[in-house]
Amino acid sequence: MSEDRQEPILEMKNVEKHFGGVRAIDEFDLKVMPRSIYGLIGPNGAGKTTIFNTITGIYTADNGQIFFQGKDITRIRPHEAAELGIARTFQNIRLFGNLSVKMNVIIACNMHAKYGIVDALLRLPRYRQVSKETEERAMQFLEIVGLTDKADDLASSLPYGHQRKLEIARAMATEPKLLLLDEPAAGMNADESLELVEFVKRLHDTYPITILMIEHHMDVVTNLCGQCTVLDFGKTLAQGTVEEVKHNDAVIAAYLGGEL
Amino acid sequence: MKILIQQMITGISIGSVYALIASGYALVYSLLDFSNWAHGEVCMLGAYCCFMATMVPKIPFALSCVIGIGGAALISLLNEKIAYRRIRNNGSPNMFLMIAAMGLSTTYQNLANVIWGSKFKQLPKIFSVMTLNLNGIFIGTTDMLCLGVALVVLIALLLIINKTKFGLHVQAVACSGRTARILGVRIDRIIALVFMLAGALAGLAGIMYGMKYNVYPTMGNVGLKAFIASVIGGLGSVPGAIMGAILLGFIETVVSGYISSGLRDLISFSLLILILLVRPSGLFGVDVQEKA
Amino acid sequence: MWNSFYDGVVVIVCVNLIAVLGMSVLTGFTRLFSFGNAGFMSIGAYTAAICSVQFHLPFVCSITVGAAVAGVMAFLLGSLTIRLRGDYFLISCLGFGECVRVLFNYTRNLTGGANGYSGIPYRTTGIVALMCAIFAFVIAWNFIHSRYGQAFSAIRENEVAAAANGINVVRYKKLSFVFSAIYAGWAGGLYAHYLQYITPGLFNIGKSSELVITTVLGGLGSLTGSVLGTLIVQLLPEIFRSLSEYRMLFYGIAVVLVILLRPAGLLGYKEFSLTGIIRRITAKRKVQNSEGGSKS
Repeated sequence: MSEDRQEPILEMKNVEKHFGGVRAIDEFDLKVMPRSIYGLIGPNGAGKTTIFNTITGIYTADNGQIFFQGKDITRIRPHEAAELGIARTFQNIRLFGNLSVKMNVIIACNMHAKYGIVDALLRLPRYRQVSKETEERAMQFLEIVGLTDKADDLASSLPYGHQRKLEIARAMATEPKLLLLDEPAAGMNADESLELVEFVKRLHDTYPITILMIEHHMDVVTNLCGQCTVLDFGKTLAQGTVEEVKHNDAVIAAYLGGEL
Repeated sequence: MKILIQQMITGISIGSVYALIASGYALVYSLLDFSNWAHGEVCMLGAYCCFMATMVPKIPFALSCVIGIGGAALISLLNEKIAYRRIRNNGSPNMFLMIAAMGLSTTYQNLANVIWGSKFKQLPKIFSVMTLNLNGIFIGTTDMLCLGVALVVLIALLLIINKTKFGLHVQAVACSGRTARILGVRIDRIIALVFMLAGALAGLAGIMYGMKYNVYPTMGNVGLKAFIASVIGGLGSVPGAIMGAILLGFIETVVSGYISSGLRDLISFSLLILILLVRPSGLFGVDVQEKA
Repeated sequence: MWNSFYDGVVVIVCVNLIAVLGMSVLTGFTRLFSFGNAGFMSIGAYTAAICSVQFHLPFVCSITVGAAVAGVMAFLLGSLTIRLRGDYFLISCLGFGECVRVLFNYTRNLTGGANGYSGIPYRTTGIVALMCAIFAFVIAWNFIHSRYGQAFSAIRENEVAAAANGINVVRYKKLSFVFSAIYAGWAGGLYAHYLQYITPGLFNIGKSSELVITTVLGGLGSLTGSVLGTLIVQLLPEIFRSLSEYRMLFYGIAVVLVILLRPAGLLGYKEFSLTGIIRRITAKRKVQNSEGGSKS
């Protein structure tokens, strides 16, 4: 088991993706170790979300390979990625807006609901049992993000910050091994992002998950991530611990510059 | 051989009528990403407007045609002003535009039935009885007239889209409505103008179709054919719609001529499904990948 | 007095309700549009009729075979076309429905062609139709509230997010399509055994769009709404016989008005329930009471 721990949970080798003539990501390499929190940093249009989309199968890489727990997932389809244990949130929140908050999480929990179509159509005992359990599990996940009292509200009626949290709860409800967070602190002020840092830490401590996150707020990255990669125009500028990256000349020149 | 040529010309002629309607579908789809199902009924109402004008004494047929075309353009504009614009501003999903269009289509078809009855109405046939005899190839003059007018109009349409400032604006809105708005294009006005243009084309097509096959409340179903044509060509592409329409008209005539007129629709629909399987976005359509 | 007229009305309402429920699952919950469901109805109708007349199968078997064949056809068609984007899928369904109609017109030896198929035994009485409709509603209700129906709603709301949460979008869309076709086929089979005589023209695009209109009027994403929609669309013309000429005109206007004024339909995304209404009334009272309390 201890040897397994040395294997990266997610590995990307030489991955490329272009749209027309634009190289969204170019010769991208990445190794994320199990149980770590890894950051992806870079200005808008650097190709960070494209990386998430190639990992989760929304896009297929034009070149290179992606491994998850040693398994080649380069040509995976989105729902298969979820079944393997890769969950994600979206930069531009994608909730099931006309459904209740609880239903958003239940749908994610359903991935593990084991009953067949006949059970469902005839409401057999197995169906009742499983759907009751599913509902309870969904409520647990809502409790983690503190949305229990909003369970029956429409997801689209939630304020922005709560919507982000609901997305995280929904992603966690698929019981992932790898959680991809796409700018979880976007649009948050300093206090809120501090709260988010605490929340992500608690999540990481409670569940056996690895986190890969895209983030602009440097304080969030500094507080959470052990390792990070800086991207610019699809190319890797620097890779290493946050401290190393902060002092990398290319990074300072290209992006972080005045901020640090 | 002579019969084949004869049928090719008839096919292209009916195809050119489809093309007039299909390019309207394509124009609207390129701007709003929805299929304006009421378009066939606009065509039908244009034909009825023209028919009504011919009933008034002392109006020359040419003026009746203009009235028909204008009427269709006006109805098309009304659809946009009364229904589509509001639905867009509601922020409803695109599907609702299509449902509204379907509702309008049902409304118009039955309205026509109530007003004019289901009987066929005849448009004056200017030189209908004549057939030209070109070295043993017989071609109806109505066919020739339709083909000629349609070709001129379609070429003019392509020129408008590609060469004028208005056409540039249309293309800009088609690319990205939001960006175009920021750059100072008055998109609601562009959309309204496009609806009028599409309506006028449909009105013209309605008059031509009416001259060939008379005017009746369900003649809007020709819009369905045109819609198929625009799907074959690729939704939102005007040149694609024109090509698709001519292809469809051609195939229909050849099938009715050589196989059986009853199987005409079966074969054109099968062709449609086949083309979609090979090219899911039509012959000239662009595959879009949704950005996540 | 209960006579054959009322019996007929019950059959018509129930048969249409079954087809509309299928449509509601497909359009209201999965947001897939099909103008081909009349085609599936005709497949169900002809298959069931042939089973009854040619093979002398019992009524229940004929209906089951009819619905099953419709389902299989939907599975085959769906395997080919379900990946097509919105309008392209819609037109392929429409094309399929028309192809079916033309084919039935052409296979004179088997289906009687345009002259129709006659001699079907009269089996769909009011009570049979009513029982079928109730059963269909219960099954659809259970389906919609299970993880399958929840997945449909997720796809309707956001396909990308649905896939990211482990929902196989293509598979579930196909499932929804097959379900709606089975319901259409079921309705068709019942209809054939009520009319005793069917022609391909019964199941034209007009029928398909009537199904869509009913679903939209009742409300997308609401099964009880579909029941309400069916009652309105099928009963009003019976009540206002003299206005039957204007029937489709009214529906056309109604659809436009509903989309403009109440986009989600009469009961969009909501199910009609007595407990829900009671809860809402009591909740309002509570609010009023507490407001009154704070003022005093």
